[in-house]
Amino acid sequence: MATLSLENVSYVYGQRTPFEIKALDNVSLSVREGTVTGIIGHTGSGKSTLVQLLNGLEKPTSGKVMLDGVDIWEKPREIGKIRFRVGLVMQYPEYQLFEETIRADIAFGPRNMGLSKEEIDHRVSEAAGFVGLDPLLLDKSPFDLSGGQKRRAAIAGVMAMRPEVLVLDEPAAGLDPRGRDTILKGVRTYGRETGSTVIIVSHSMEDMATYCDDIIVMAKGRVCLSGTRDEVFANAKTLTEVGLGVPQITQLALLLEERGVALPGGIYTVEAAVAALKPLFQ
Amino acid sequence: MKNIALGQYYPAESPIHRLDARIKVILAILYIVCTFLCKSALGFAVLAFSAILLILLSRVPIRTVFRAIRPLLFIMIFTAAFNLFLTKGDTAPLWAWQVTEKWTVQIFEAGIYSAVFMVVRIVVLILGTSIFLTYTTTPIALTDAIESLLSPLRVIHLPVHEFAMMMSIALRFIPTLMEETGKIMNAQKARGVDFSHGSLVKRAKALVPILIPLFVSSFRRADELATAMECRCYRGGKGRTKMRVPHLRFADFAAVVLMAGFGTGLVLLNYYGIGYRM
Repeated sequence: MATLSLENVSYVYGQRTPFEIKALDNVSLSVREGTVTGIIGHTGSGKSTLVQLLNGLEKPTSGKVMLDGVDIWEKPREIGKIRFRVGLVMQYPEYQLFEETIRADIAFGPRNMGLSKEEIDHRVSEAAGFVGLDPLLLDKSPFDLSGGQKRRAAIAGVMAMRPEVLVLDEPAAGLDPRGRDTILKGVRTYGRETGSTVIIVSHSMEDMATYCDDIIVMAKGRVCLSGTRDEVFANAKTLTEVGLGVPQITQLALLLEERGVALPGGIYTVEAAVAALKPLFQ
Repeated sequence: MKNIALGQYYPAESPIHRLDARIKVILAILYIVCTFLCKSALGFAVLAFSAILLILLSRVPIRTVFRAIRPLLFIMIFTAAFNLFLTKGDTAPLWAWQVTEKWTVQIFEAGIYSAVFMVVRIVVLILGTSIFLTYTTTPIALTDAIESLLSPLRVIHLPVHEFAMMMSIALRFIPTLMEETGKIMNAQKARGVDFSHGSLVKRAKALVPILIPLFVSSFRRADELATAMECRCYRGGKGRTKMRVPHLRFADFAAVVLMAGFGTGLVLLNYYGIGYRM
């Protein structure tokens, strides 16, 4: 549906003050249409700044953010339209819920788009479905929900705008394993069913390995590695150097290989490891 | 939102930055007194010169310092106009305009002097306090200083430490809440809220999605902080020691003596004044 790319983007905080920080340094990247792309990096690697550039919340100090080949800042007055096309779920989105009911909160985005009531209702139930939110919860107050449920409601609030590109900043941070899986699976389902491009920012290698097609590795405000999942994880050494490493299960596979166990390459998930190791025990 | 400077503290290496915060509070008060001691043109000239000297000494860029004056520009113009038109001198008016039969607008020499004096006084007042307090002292050092200076009030059972703690917590959370506001604003902007366009009512309504989450999160933070403090056995100021114990140095004493001397000098100058005296 839409391709997103960055051309030589730099971003400096507090320019010309004693507190100047260069968050992004000449970043160029592009995201394949209809895929799930993971952006991974350590704290302070510039990923959170990056996501705010993608939907025009921040304007790059230099360089261009391109959506379908058009600079999103070409018409600064219409940046609001870009925000409906590139949906952004910020970190800890549950803290932005404010309506009396979950239903009204999810409907907030579509309502700002000026959609009809029927369309809004349809989108709310659809979005709630993506994230696996029980329809019975929709009429409750956000304060009656658990942390994980609130998080899912907030993500649904962005999905309900049906953005062509859905960007999520640490969508699973601070959740238990089941909560993470529900959310990340929901995000993937959203991408597949609507054909949208999904960008997930995380520092969990395991999540990236399970849910992403492509991976971009950020370090110190620059793109350090990018490519398909297999291409990126093949560079275990570089990943370790920037303090990220490969998924634990991949590390186990690599260690086993070192000790002479013959394994097929590209083991990034526990399922793949089970499949590869099982025959050895039989 | 990351580019906000907390308070207006300007980090630099200067003799004024190095002074003890308590001394700086005292110096600021003395300097305010000094501005009111001036009565003659010579005194005000010396005062204005001392303010410039202070700015140079503090190594804070002049443009940054003068930014502190901008919000009070209106008051200054207002004061100047009042003094200019309403001061009656004993000499003949320099300029007069008969508006109606009973009402004439007159400007006396004294009016011009007193307008200039008042503007100089206000400017120096703001410059002096911002140089000593906001620009060269971190908010935390300032709170500590206030706690220390108010500590004699403990005798009458005033919870000085608690007040200081409340003040430093409030200061500490300004950037946090600013950051939080920025985040919530961004999150709601991402959902299509428009803060900069539309009618006043529309813009006011756009604040609801920000204020509610902000309120909720402030209460949550207050609760969490209280729990955290209790877990570390915080029980107020009783028997509490300080991590950074400030020590007065020779320069601190010298600064106070210098300031007192400056004030005395200004008083003396009043007797050698040329022209109008207030």
